Amino acid sequence: MLKINHIEKTFDNLVALANVSLNIEKGEFFGLLGPNGAGKTTLMNIIIGYLQPDIGTITVDDEIIMYEDLEMRKKIGYVPQDISLYLELSAYQNLIIFGKLYGLGKNELESKIDEVLELVQLTDRKKDLVKEFSGGMKRRLNLAVSLLHDPQILLCDEPTVGVDPQSRNAIFDMLTKLNQKGKTILYTTHYMEEAERLCSRLAIIDHGKIITQGTLLDLINQLDQKETIKIQKTAHTKDKIDSINNLGHVTEYDFYYELLPKEENSQHSTIFKHFETLNIPSQFIEISRASLEDVFLNLTGRSLRD
Amino acid sequence: MKTIYNLVVKDIIRFLNDKPAVLLTFIVPMVLIVIFGSIFGGSGSPRGKVNIILVNESNTPVSRILEARLDSAKSLRIVKKYLPENGKDSLKFTETVAKEYVRTGKISAAVVMPEDFFTDTSAALKFKFYYDPKNEIESSIIQGQMQQTIMTQVPRLIPFLMQRRAIDFIGNDSTAMFAQSLGGILETYFDVPADSFVQSLTKIDTTELTQTVADDSSEENQMFGNFVKFESEQLVGKEVSNPGLTRSVGGWAIMFLLFSLTGAATSLFEEKQEGTLKRLLCMPVNRSQILWSKYIYTMSLGVVQLFVLFVFSWLFFGVDVFSNLPNLFVVVVASAAAAVSFGMLITSVAKTINQANGISTLVILVMSAVGGSWFPVTLFPDWMQAISKVTLTYWSVEAFLQVLWRQAPFTAIIPNVLILLTFAFLINAYALVRFKNGKVF
Ligand SMILES: Nc1ncnc2c1ncn2[C@@H]1O[C@H](COP(=O)(O)OP(=O)(O)OP(=O)(O)O)[C@@H](O)[C@H]1O
Ligand SMILES: [Mg+2]
Repeated sequence: MLKINHIEKTFDNLVALANVSLNIEKGEFFGLLGPNGAGKTTLMNIIIGYLQPDIGTITVDDEIIMYEDLEMRKKIGYVPQDISLYLELSAYQNLIIFGKLYGLGKNELESKIDEVLELVQLTDRKKDLVKEFSGGMKRRLNLAVSLLHDPQILLCDEPTVGVDPQSRNAIFDMLTKLNQKGKTILYTTHYMEEAERLCSRLAIIDHGKIITQGTLLDLINQLDQKETIKIQKTAHTKDKIDSINNLGHVTEYDFYYELLPKEENSQHSTIFKHFETLNIPSQFIEISRASLEDVFLNLTGRSLRD
Repeated sequence: MKTIYNLVVKDIIRFLNDKPAVLLTFIVPMVLIVIFGSIFGGSGSPRGKVNIILVNESNTPVSRILEARLDSAKSLRIVKKYLPENGKDSLKFTETVAKEYVRTGKISAAVVMPEDFFTDTSAALKFKFYYDPKNEIESSIIQGQMQQTIMTQVPRLIPFLMQRRAIDFIGNDSTAMFAQSLGGILETYFDVPADSFVQSLTKIDTTELTQTVADDSSEENQMFGNFVKFESEQLVGKEVSNPGLTRSVGGWAIMFLLFSLTGAATSLFEEKQEGTLKRLLCMPVNRSQILWSKYIYTMSLGVVQLFVLFVFSWLFFGVDVFSNLPNLFVVVVASAAAAVSFGMLITSVAKTINQANGISTLVILVMSAVGGSWFPVTLFPDWMQAISKVTLTYWSVEAFLQVLWRQAPFTAIIPNVLILLTFAFLINAYALVRFKNGKVF
């Protein structure tokens, strides 16, 4: 349904997107995972026709989207990464203003406003000024505005940034519901947990290049080790880190080390034997399946959060 | 078209929600109009008199009659006595006390007629004038009033003093001879008795100087009175009920326009900051629609603002805005167009809202001062008058003067309107180029 063909975009000397191609099917919940500055927003801007690509085309249902293609924008809902609302106006006024610009008639707009407010659970706050909203409420309204014209495709650019866990979950539920009702969603994030939880298929972007794509299982199956071992950081384990390093690739996080064991250590029994000799109690060890984080690490040698 | 309309509605909703902006756009101009309307006597109350101390230490009839005349002068209030700090009876001012009063700012000026104000041999009247130039207009009013009083109340004094001068220079005899022959000529051609003329010139009896005032019809007096004759007739603005405000309201109007419309145009920055500009540009809205809507919105805001301003001036100060309404409307629209283009220019060259506010405030204040919003440009030195003409304020102020003050027909404002519209067109064209390469979008 949404095809991104060989898109390239350069700002001055910075290559923001290099030969990006994606094919998003109707009804998919497609994730685009990448660290800061990877080019996610730039791609969104090109899809919506806000920016012009240097090379490449975007098609929706095999129709090419041109720069400033106003008709095409009626089919697409775009949730900008930054809150884009009139803060001095009420939620309702915002919805009216933007809804009218989508060409909705008065009655249609009214019922649509009720519907989206219900969806984002802001019905009882609709008369309040947006500037008095919490961060999570603003995010939800930011999303609601993009749903007014009932778009077939929804582009969500990091819609959960700076949101408390409760609002975040509410947004997840909303998006899942919308996807179940048949909307095609392209969702960018730099949280691998979000991509894992929400997306049926995903691509990882880094420095403007798509480095891999597929279902979550596809991506994890690319890895040699499908499991990782987390060792809790404690006073006790901290001095052992050098020895742990010998067992495989270790990444340090705030509260734990993550070990991707070498091939020869991939058996649980072998690895636990090693820990035993290092005198690390099993209470500090957790074995989990590999995550997108590991996929990213494997492909780039860096952590997503760097 | 529908989109532009919706965008304009959006701007109106935002404007009405912004109470301070509404206040600045409508209330502040009104308050200022009230202040200036009152200064120019718009509400019909007479203008205040200027206070001045008069100390008369001379004891001549001339000084006495001048004192009496100044007492009854329309624009002056003469003060002669003061209450000393610990006394209960008021005392007559002396020169020393009067000077102290001026120096300490209790009064703006003092006129002293000293003992030797006018003596038997004086070839001039001797006044002492003490003033504090904190208010030049006051000083000029006082000096003008003094001169006028002397000229009109004791007209014979002037030739008399001239005669004394002549005696000083060429001696008594030659002066008498000159008077004789002049008298002869006058008698021959003007039918004035030579004797009485010669007498009036050479007479040393100063008491008669003053009598002529009472006896206005005396031949000599008429003779002298006729030396200089002013026939003045006001040709413009005779029927204008509030001349001061009518002349100045146009200047204020264009200044308010510049401020409010630049503010409205730079709201593009706010929208950029809020991210709403980007959202609009990701909706079925393109850049030129946004620009058009800004033009239409700011133009309408300007027209409404001036409409309110003029109706207010008419209601409370009787400024006649209706008898030349169509032309006034043309000038308002042309001025608003020029002001909008100015705002767009600022928006397109500035990088942030603060920059835009800073630049625009500075430029608007300079343009208003130089272009004649505050004072008539005819008061300026020549080089500055030349600069005025490159400000759009100047052409707008002149156009408002034409339609409000002179009640001029459309043909008279065509040049101004054309110049304003040309300004608008050129500036807009430049702003559009800047927008294409700029940072706003
Ligand atoms: N208008 C612009 N001018 C110049 N460089 C830009 C512009 N927009 C983006 N870039 C650069 O392009 C690169 C990609 O930026 P982009 O905003 O697409 O990243 P992102 O993946 O959305 O990052 P984030 O997760 O922080 O939102 C960055 O290096 C950024 O600095
Ligand atoms: Mg981004």
